[in-house]
Amino acid sequence: MSLRQRLLLVFSLTVVLAVATVAWIVSLRTRQAFTQADQKHAAALVDQFRREFDGYARDVAARVDHLAQSDRLARIAFELSRTGDPSPYVNEAAPLARDYQLDFLEILSADGNIISSAQWPARFGYREELHPAANQPTFLKKEELPDGSSEVGLFTLQSVGGGGLQLYVLGGKRLDRGFLANLAAPADTQVLLYPMLTATFDPHALLGMGGEVGHAARYQALIEQARASGQEAASTIFLSNRREDSVDATALPLKSADGSVLAVVVVAGSRRGLVELQQHIRAIAYGVAGAGILLAIAASLWITSRISRPVEQLAAAAAEVASGNWDTRVDVASKDEIGMLAESFNDMTRQLSEQRERLLQSERVAAWRELARRLAHELKNPLFPLQLTVENLIRARTLPAAEFEEIFRESTHTLTSEIANLKSIIARFSDFSKMPKPQLQEVDLVELLRKLAALYEPVLAQHQPAITFDGQADDGPLLVSADPDLLHRALSNLVLNAMDAMPGGGKLTVRLRRNNGLVEIRVSDTGTGMTAEECERLFTPYYTTKQHGTGLGLAIVQSVVSDHHGTIRVESAPGRGATFVIELLPAATRSVSA
Amino acid sequence: MRHTVSRWPAVISLVLALVAPVAARTRPRYGGTLRIETRSDPLAPPDGIARRLLFDTLTQVNDRGEVLPALASSWESQGANHRWQFHVRGGVHFHDGRPLTAEAVVQSLAAACNHCAWHVRAVGDSVIVTSDSPMPGLPAELARSAYAITRRDENGNPDGTGPFRSAANSNGILFLSANDDSWQGRPFVDAIEIYTNRSVREQWLDFSIGKADLVEVPPEFLRQAQQERLPLAVSAYPSDLLALTISDQHVRDEHLRESMALAPDRAALFNVIFQKQGEITASLLPDELSGYAFLFPGAANLARSRELRGGQSIPLRLIVERSGSALQLVAERLALNLRDAGWNVRVVPQTGNSDAELALRMVHVEASDAASALRELMANFGAASRDDGSDPSALYRIERTFLQSHTVVPLLYLPRAWGVSGRVRNLALSPDGTPLLANVSLEDAK
Repeated sequence: MSLRQRLLLVFSLTVVLAVATVAWIVSLRTRQAFTQADQKHAAALVDQFRREFDGYARDVAARVDHLAQSDRLARIAFELSRTGDPSPYVNEAAPLARDYQLDFLEILSADGNIISSAQWPARFGYREELHPAANQPTFLKKEELPDGSSEVGLFTLQSVGGGGLQLYVLGGKRLDRGFLANLAAPADTQVLLYPMLTATFDPHALLGMGGEVGHAARYQALIEQARASGQEAASTIFLSNRREDSVDATALPLKSADGSVLAVVVVAGSRRGLVELQQHIRAIAYGVAGAGILLAIAASLWITSRISRPVEQLAAAAAEVASGNWDTRVDVASKDEIGMLAESFNDMTRQLSEQRERLLQSERVAAWRELARRLAHELKNPLFPLQLTVENLIRARTLPAAEFEEIFRESTHTLTSEIANLKSIIARFSDFSKMPKPQLQEVDLVELLRKLAALYEPVLAQHQPAITFDGQADDGPLLVSADPDLLHRALSNLVLNAMDAMPGGGKLTVRLRRNNGLVEIRVSDTGTGMTAEECERLFTPYYTTKQHGTGLGLAIVQSVVSDHHGTIRVESAPGRGATFVIELLPAATRSVSA
Repeated sequence: MRHTVSRWPAVISLVLALVAPVAARTRPRYGGTLRIETRSDPLAPPDGIARRLLFDTLTQVNDRGEVLPALASSWESQGANHRWQFHVRGGVHFHDGRPLTAEAVVQSLAAACNHCAWHVRAVGDSVIVTSDSPMPGLPAELARSAYAITRRDENGNPDGTGPFRSAANSNGILFLSANDDSWQGRPFVDAIEIYTNRSVREQWLDFSIGKADLVEVPPEFLRQAQQERLPLAVSAYPSDLLALTISDQHVRDEHLRESMALAPDRAALFNVIFQKQGEITASLLPDELSGYAFLFPGAANLARSRELRGGQSIPLRLIVERSGSALQLVAERLALNLRDAGWNVRVVPQTGNSDAELALRMVHVEASDAASALRELMANFGAASRDDGSDPSALYRIERTFLQSHTVVPLLYLPRAWGVSGRVRNLALSPDGTPLLANVSLEDAK
């Protein structure tokens, strides 16, 4: 990732994070504000329901009170006090309930026995479970019905005095859909009623103001929470996957006189308006944030380009330097840290160029010195016998002719021999400088090994002490693309080198094998071996560890291997012999790569 | 003096004027239309109010329980009551003019008695009834309206020989006109209008404003009617048996049926719902007929009921075979009683082919002697019984054996009563409470 991209990323992330943080804080505060508004709205609805419920209770109480004060009940009380026979009044409750618009009505004797029941006429004579106590406030009660069902109602108990006999009327109205329909609820508010008539939640029992409640099951948890705790419970209920189809619901447990929850009223205010307003505000916030981010990114692009351009120029210049162009310079456009860095860079490249030039000159001089030393060393050895021979000839001029003749003949022989030696030295240097370009063809190394063995096995056998030759090769032909003459010459050099390394005899092993997709030639001797330093310098031209070596043999070998796109290395340690390892590409592979 | 003489005609006239209406009230007058209102179909068998007006039986029973001739002018038994011969009264015609014959009587009896143990055939102007078992009570049994002699007229409607003939039936009003050729003689009233499907409240309202002459007073309103001093005609003895039937097809275990039979609180039904009218009974026959009804204990025993139930709590349905708020209330009360005994009972509306486990039935007992009444009741409850005469101990054994199956639980015997307007004269009720209207005349008839 480039500096500009990194800077852009950092700037962008910074801006996005800043915007996101601000957006989150704004969103949080907005949500809190909306939640508070929701809670206030829900509390207002609950208060309104409580007022409505209290009004309903007062209405029930008033009806029952009017009934208790009626002449009819006074007459019944009077007649009962006179006759003591309640049977004529068994059917009284039903018409009275109709007249006073009560859903439930029971006329009770002083000891709580039912004289007449509107909702269950057959229960006359049964004792009402609720112990009568006059002037009780309105209370909730679950009323069993003849068909086995039960209903929850709001009841009032009133006493009826007359003729010295006290009666009670227990009247009430059911909490049902009609009760809900009479509630004055705002348009976006639903009041639901769940009578606790079964042990488990029954979605069909949940009554709404307009009939059956859709998504009734979604209210189950809230209703059961209110039922279990006996306390008011509130929750946001999502009626579908759309956020706006949700309500802020408050569940109010309605309890009987003994404290058990008989019904739960759910006041559910629609959140549609709030959610839509929230979504509108959020959309605006997202739009502003998006625009801000885009603007920030554009600004970041401009800023990063301003900051990164000189650095990029420096980087490009550094790359130029790395590629060898040490004369690269950068423009110094400012006097800030970047400008100082550019000046320093220019100074550095200038110094590098100068140092390189000096190094090249030093190396050149050293090379020439080494070459001169080698040449002097190589030439000095034959020149010294030549000098002695010539001086011997000069001294022999005064000797008799026959003796001179003999000396002359020996001297000329020596001169010829040494001159030939000189030529040979010069020819080797000449050969190294004129290494021919390899003429590649498919060569079977096994065959090459066979020729090599045929050539050197007798020589090695005659060596005193003898050197044994061991040629090993993997099965099948080992084909490489190579110049057979050059490769033969390289291998010959390695064999001769090994012979020189084993003056006391030993074993020379040439092994051919396939290794990791390459063809490997290992030439090993059991000679004295070399130090790590010697190994490191071994392929340097004109470096030799031998008394009469030119230092070109292994350099030629390396040159040949390199021309064949192969590698050569040496594995050796003092006293453990040496192994030269040549790795060449197989014929097909090399031709492809070539 | 002149003044004294002139006063006598006036005094005589005044005396005559006062005496004449009194004399007129003692002598029935012909004419007028009698208006009756009922809740039910007046032609519905076996005891629709119009059936005794349109149809006659071979015999009839008076208020002393004596069997009298009707369409049979006489009868005699042979072979130790195995064979009865009834002589068909001559000169009697159906309303369409066809004469009453022995064949017509045989056809009518055969149609009315599909499951009877006796055979009937015509021999000359006699009807011969034979049976493998003796039938000492056959003449009294043939007095029941179930054995009324009818035949189909040209339109397929039932035709009879009764004192009134059907004139029209429209808009819920059955119009009857006097049968001038009735073998009993022409009835006093010219016509009877029977308004059907009228609630008790409507009947009483019409009665109070003089639009109805004869209205029903159900037993649950009888006390109120008495307190309001309504002119009433009440049956001589309670003739409607209110009983709970338990299907032995659904509840096969006799102990379970006994458990249910022990649950009802008859006293509550009697005292409260029926306002102490009629009588509590645990026997099939009313005490007035049998004299041994007290031998059947009728008190509820919830502890024993629960013990017999033995933890069983199969859901039971209770249907009411007749409509009416009182019967519905009785059913609800019985359901409560059974629930107190641990049974799970629900009162369900009666549908076309109900096969509920429990049923509340109201059975009318028309026969006025114990043996016939027992046979009538047992036949009503789907049980056959032999005619073993009227020996009380034999009847007791039969009834006890039948009730020990606990398929029928008698609850109450209820009276039949009618509100009778002041213009109706000579109204008599049969022992079972059916108005005998053939001899009724109207006060204001011309």
